[in-house]
Parts: sequence; C-alpha cells; structure tokens
Amino acid sequence: MSLIATQSLSKTYPGGVTALADLTLSVEPGVIGLVGANGAGKSTMIKTLLGLLTPTSGQVRVLGLDPVTAGEEVRARVGYMPEHDCLPPDMIAAEFVTHMARMTGLPRTVARERASEALRHVGLYEERYRQIGGYSTGMKQRVKLAQALVHDPDLLLLDEPTNGLDPAGRDAMLTLIHRIGTEFGISVVVCSHLLGEIERICDSLIAIEGGRLLRADRIDAMTTGTDVLAIEVAEGTAELAEALSARGLTPREEGRMLLVPLADEDTYDLVLRTVAELDLPLHRLDQRRHRVAELFSTAPLPSLEASHV
Amino acid sequence: MTDLELRGVSRWYGNVVAVNDVTMTLGPGVTGLLGPNGAGKTTLLHMMAGFLAPSRGAVTIDGAPTWRNPAIYRKLGLVNEREAVYGFLTGKEFVRASAKLHGLPDADAATRRAIALVEMADAQDRRMDTYSKGMRQRMRVAAALVHDPAVLLLDEPFNGMDPRQRMHMMELLHGLGAQGRTVLFSSHILEEVEQVSGTVQVIVAGRLAASGDYRTIRRLMTHRPHVFAIRSSDDRRLAVALMASPSVAGVTLGKDGLTVHAGDYGTFTRALPRIALDQGVRVRQLIPSDESLESVFSYLVSA
Amino acid sequence: MSEQSVIHDIGYQRYTGVRLGRGYAARSLFEHGLRVAFGLGRSAKAKIFPWIVIGLVTLLAVIVVAIKAQSGEMVLTYQDYPTAVSTLAMVFLAVVAPELVSRDLRNQTLPLYFSRPVGRADYALAKLGALVAAVWLLLAGPQTLMFLGSAFTAADASGVGAEARGMLGGWVVSTAYALIFSSVSVLIASVASRRAFAAGAIVVVFMVSSGVAGLLIALGGDGPMAQLAPMLSPFLLPEGLRSWLYGTSFDVGAYGPLYGLVTLLLVAGCTSLLVLRYRKVSL
Repeated sequence: MSLIATQSLSKTYPGGVTALADLTLSVEPGVIGLVGANGAGKSTMIKTLLGLLTPTSGQVRVLGLDPVTAGEEVRARVGYMPEHDCLPPDMIAAEFVTHMARMTGLPRTVARERASEALRHVGLYEERYRQIGGYSTGMKQRVKLAQALVHDPDLLLLDEPTNGLDPAGRDAMLTLIHRIGTEFGISVVVCSHLLGEIERICDSLIAIEGGRLLRADRIDAMTTGTDVLAIEVAEGTAELAEALSARGLTPREEGRMLLVPLADEDTYDLVLRTVAELDLPLHRLDQRRHRVAELFSTAPLPSLEASHV
Repeated sequence: MTDLELRGVSRWYGNVVAVNDVTMTLGPGVTGLLGPNGAGKTTLLHMMAGFLAPSRGAVTIDGAPTWRNPAIYRKLGLVNEREAVYGFLTGKEFVRASAKLHGLPDADAATRRAIALVEMADAQDRRMDTYSKGMRQRMRVAAALVHDPAVLLLDEPFNGMDPRQRMHMMELLHGLGAQGRTVLFSSHILEEVEQVSGTVQVIVAGRLAASGDYRTIRRLMTHRPHVFAIRSSDDRRLAVALMASPSVAGVTLGKDGLTVHAGDYGTFTRALPRIALDQGVRVRQLIPSDESLESVFSYLVSA
Repeated sequence: MSEQSVIHDIGYQRYTGVRLGRGYAARSLFEHGLRVAFGLGRSAKAKIFPWIVIGLVTLLAVIVVAIKAQSGEMVLTYQDYPTAVSTLAMVFLAVVAPELVSRDLRNQTLPLYFSRPVGRADYALAKLGALVAAVWLLLAGPQTLMFLGSAFTAADASGVGAEARGMLGGWVVSTAYALIFSSVSVLIASVASRRAFAAGAIVVVFMVSSGVAGLLIALGGDGPMAQLAPMLSPFLLPEGLRSWLYGTSFDVGAYGPLYGLVTLLLVAGCTSLLVLRYRKVSL
C-alpha cells in the first residue's frame, strides 16, 4: 500500500490562485523529500494531506485513507512539524509535549511516558524540565520534532526541519531524521529546498513546480552513474591531460578536474597507471554521478507523468 | 577594480564583542562570508556598508572610509537580509525610487538596465506583494545595482529560496563577479556557499578564522590527517599494503570501502597509485572526504 | 554469581495501546484551560492574580455569612451575589480570557492543534467551556459557601431547604452571568493576538455598552426604553433574565421573555462567531 497517493489532485483558491494542478503521484514508505514547492504549493499540499483543505478536484489518499472524509483518523496517525515558530515560551517542554500527546488521544499516564521518551529520542535530556522560552533554535526544533513524534505516527511531515540551524545542528537533525526513517520504522516526508540534505537522507523525491509535478522518483534513480570518470591531481594537470590523450582517452578540463569517457573497467587501471608513471599526486578518482540539482537547471517544462517512487 | 579593505577592525557593544580584529581584502569576484548564526557576519556587512562605525580599525573602499562618507554609496550597493518592501509599489517603481534616491541623471535608463540585469523585465509592472520570495529578492538586488556600484554586499541572499530561485540568484552573482564587481554575500548554509564561490571568509565568534579557497585552506591544515574514501576491487588487500606506508596514519574497513587517514598528504597521494598497482588492485573511487566546506568549517570552528 | 547480564532495549517503542478520540482530546483541552485560568500547574507568578480574585469573592461570601450568623439578616441574597462581584468577574475575564486564547494565536501554536484529531470547533468550544466553568466556579463557589454557612445557622430542616432553594436560584443566575460574560470575552480575545490589547478591548466593550445602556435608561424614564435598554449591557442583561425568571431584580415589564431570547441569541451568536473565527485560521 502506498504511503501517499494522489490522482489528478488540484487546488484553486477562491482568488484564482492555483496552488496545485493535476498532481498524480504515488509514494512508497521511506524517507521522501518534497522539493521546490515554495509558497502556496507546499502549504497547500501539507494541508490537503492533513485533511484541512478539500481539493478542488482529484483524489488523495494518505496511509490508505481519504483525508477529506477520514480526516480525524488521518491526523491521529500523522505527525506534523511546522516550519515557523509555534512553541509557547512560558511552558515547560515536557509539559507541552505531554499536553500535545493528550490532544492526540493518548491517555494521561501514557502521554507523560511517551512525551518523556520522545524528548529523549530527539536528544533533550535535563533541558526538558526548563521553559521553552530559554531554548536555542536547535533545541526548539527538537521539541517541535518531539511533539510530532510523541503519539507514534505512521507518517511524519517535517517542514524545513533544519531551518535556522547552524552546520553542526543541521547535521545532528539530519542524522536524527534518517534514524527515525530507518530504525524507528516511521515514514517521513521532508520539505526542504537544500538538495544536498535531500540527497543525503531521502530515498525518494517529489519535485513540484508551479503547482505541477516536475518529477517524482527514487533518489538512486536520479543519481545514477554516468559514463564519465573525473580525475583530479594536486599538480601536473596539463601533463596528465597530455599523457591521457596519448593513450587514447580524450580528457576534457573542468575546473581543476579532468573528465574522461569511462568506456569500461580498464579505464580505471589505465588512468591509475598513467598517474603513477608521471608520479603525480592523485587527489580524486570518481565516476561522475547525476545530481538531483540537474532537475532544476534544465528548462522548466514540467513533466505530468504519473510517477511511482 | 575596486578593493574593499578591512584593517584590524573590531566592533563591540559594551561587553559583547561582535567583531574581533578582522583584517581582510576583498577584490573583484564573488566571496562568501561564512559563519554560524551570531558570528558577526551582519555586523561586518553593516560596517562595510557604512551603517556602523568600527570601534577600532578602518573599513575602506579604495582607500576611502565607509563610515560617515555618503559619497561611498556611489560605489556601494547593499541588499539586507530582511527588508520590508512597500507591497503596493510595482517592481519598476521600487527600483526607480532607488535610482531617484541616488540622484541618477537618467533614472529610467538605469532602472531598465538594473531590471534587465536581474532578468525581471516580465514582472516589473506587477505589484511587489504579488511576487514570490525569490522575485522580491531579485528586485531588491536590482535596486541595489541601479547606480552601477563596483561593490555589492548581500546579507543571507538565499534565505528561503527554492532550488531554482537559488540557481538563478547564483548565476546572477557569478555574472556580476565576472563583470569585475566585488561581490560579498553572507550565509550560514554551507551547501549554498560551496556552489557559488570557492573563495570564502570564515567568521567564528567575531574572529576571522580563515580566508581563501576552502580546498586550499584544508590543505593548510597539515596537523590534521586528510581523510580519503576508497573503493577498490580488493579493499582488505589494499588496506594492508597502505598500512605499510609511513604516510598513512590509519585505515578503517567498512562495508562501503576503505577510509584512510593520511598524515602526509603529498606522500600519500603519490604513493597510492603505485601501491595499488603493485598489489594488482583496481581503484574505482578515491574521494577526499573531509575537503567539503562543511568539514573545513567544522575543523575551523573547533580549532 | 550466575546473574545474567543484559543490555536492555530502550530503543524506540511503537505504541499499540488505546487511542481515545476527539471527545477525550476536547475534554483534556477543557481541563487544561481550567487549570490555566486558575494558574494551576504553572509558575507562582501566574497564580497571583486568579487567587487574589478567588480570595476576594470568598471574603465577600464569608462576610455575608458572618453577618447572617450575627444578626440573622442576609445582607446579600444568593441571587444578589453575582451582581455584587460582577465587576471583579469582568476583570478576571479580561486577564484570563486572553491568557487562554490569545497566547495560542500569538505563538502560532494553533497548527499543532489543528493537525491533530481535535477539530477547530472542538478547540473553540473547549476554550469557551473552560472559561464559562471558571467564571461559574468563581460565582457559584462562594454561593455554596454562603449556603453551607447559612445551613449551619438555620433553625430547622425547612430552613435548610429554603437556603438550598435559594442557592440553586443563585446558581441559575451565576450560570447566566458565566455564559454571557464568557462568550463575549472569549470572542473578543480570539481576535486580538496581544494579551494587553485583548484585555483592554474586553474592558472597553463591557464598560461602553454599560454606559450606553445607562444613558438610555436615564433617558427612558419610566417607559419601555428603561425596561429594554438594560439588554445592551452585559452587566444588566443577566439581571433582566433574573427578573423574568424570579422577579427579583429591576422591573422588566412585559419584556421578560425577550430577555431570555436575547440571552440565548447573544450566547449562541458569540459561540458561532468564535467557531467561525477558528475555522478561518490558516495552518
């Protein structure tokens, strides 16, 4: 059963703004990146998945349920982490998460226990007994994640989870999300516009542009190897280029690197031998892979194919 | 060719030292000002733009101070991080207002040029409150460029932009740098900086931690073994042979390949191809795994 | 020494237990609201104001009981009691309603609620309910105290019975006050995201409407206007209702049922607007 499935999903607001247009996709459980949908598209998508908005046309299913008719049930099984600040500064974190757990239907003692556990899993220890107002951005993001996680959802919707975090905090959050998606067995949809993050932790990707589906695919399908080998030496690049040409490889320069066509496995050996013979310091040898960013650098003719990821 | 120079610049607010003894020279091209939140990037930018006086030291553009020098604004354009724009103005009106404020003789021509530079000609007659974030940002860049300044400062210009908007903005900045302008932008998102410019100025807690190309910076950190990831046809065999080399400090075998800590970068990079060939091992991948801006940055922060 | 060594699994545990539905969530929110209103479970600073108010209303009741015990005279009847403390109740609401409602708006916490099974209408009604309950307790609590005090000094069983009936009458009036005051206050608080703003707005609305009513009553002399104008004031509307039901307040002439209707419409109207207001809040 797919995690999220839409069929020609469209949403046009009364003012005439079309946020989603004819979106058809099907997403398997795992960690999914949602990209490119800034502004109306992203929040419309989230609200629709949560059953807080009715589509203008088309269908949507979350965890097999229709959010329009079974909204309550969907919301009981989904956790949402908003992008913006949403925490009351004068409440103690542990109390707040407990309160939120009860709002999702967990009985009193269970709520308290799970809140404590959720805070531990996101990495908040003795800080959880302090008021949220005194927290750093990183800690606040963790509390937001904890309240989304506390009721053991089947799906987490995380909106820009690394917003405002410095590199170390970003790294920690991404590792945590990856853990949740793999070890905890909870599917996660991560909204982000940082493709590096998405490539790092997501299995699949949904790219929306102008309300339309640009691409929906698995990440490894989008990052397949090309038939180009990249070589970088710390010095002597020109020398190496000459030597490689002499051996029948046709190197192309790109910045500090040389790119040669990767005909077969022997190419690796040939390159290595050439470098060794010239006694050059080999800095990098790597088969070029496609990158998710390529999706956005080509002319924007949005693809309307139904994609199964 | 305009140089923006800072010499021994410090700025404090009571006991809080926002910027501590920073000396740097920025020339034509694009430079990234990098640092965690609260490191002093915005303070530095504001001093460069003449909004703040340095508590000590001097900030000059081609020798002229930026503080209390209105003439400097002919050479300087600043795009702030958060700026309320009057939503009821169209893009063109907004840029034209900037042109008028600069007292340009032919405001309309300047406006047209600036808007063309940021590729916003199609949307210029629409109200700014109908723009997306990226579009508004581009219009603000146009307003900052309308007087054709040699120096352009941008505070967190990529904030909140989606990949396509960011790519456009990156291309724009690259283009401006290639034209010979001195462009400085600040960011705390390493991924963005890495793609726009290799040249960085890293600020940590108010101090300038490093300047230059981040890859070269990495190589300057000789006390830290370089880390490489290797995939080969026989990892273990290669690992054993590598350990025999004095340039290698340590080797770890994982399911994805080898991780090598090389104490002597120069010797190791020359030795590896030979060792592999001697052992009859095919090397499929050699990647420096701590050369990324993120690694360099984390090393600088923890230094 | 044959104890087994074990590494306990404290990894993530899935939850397979019971999940109570909307009703439970709404009740929890109601309970939470009531606690916030009286500063329970929060810092000492948050308790100061509500407990001063509780102290004052209780004090009044105690004084009435003491006087009754001394002189046998009930200087303030059960039904009179709410009027006596109505201004205090308004001040209480001016502080507490924003506390309950404006904070969630200001902190933008609502998306966290609405992305859960608790619906928007449930949220609005739970908050309203908590406020109504809080005000009711503030009024009916002292009335009960008066009853207990009087019952002890009553002559006989029928005396106690009379006191009980009196108290119940007082409770009905308290309910009217609670409903009217709370529904108006929480509606005002829900449109203001700053607490000080909301508090001020509540006081202004109450005071200005009373002022207008007072003016019209003075102008109306003895005529119908003097009997109708009180409807405009939240302080006098419940009194009018009281007159209709028990005839113990000012003269409402033939307009008694109208007071009943207006009360109903006001409360229902404010409640609907409140629910509507929360429907419009975007995620």
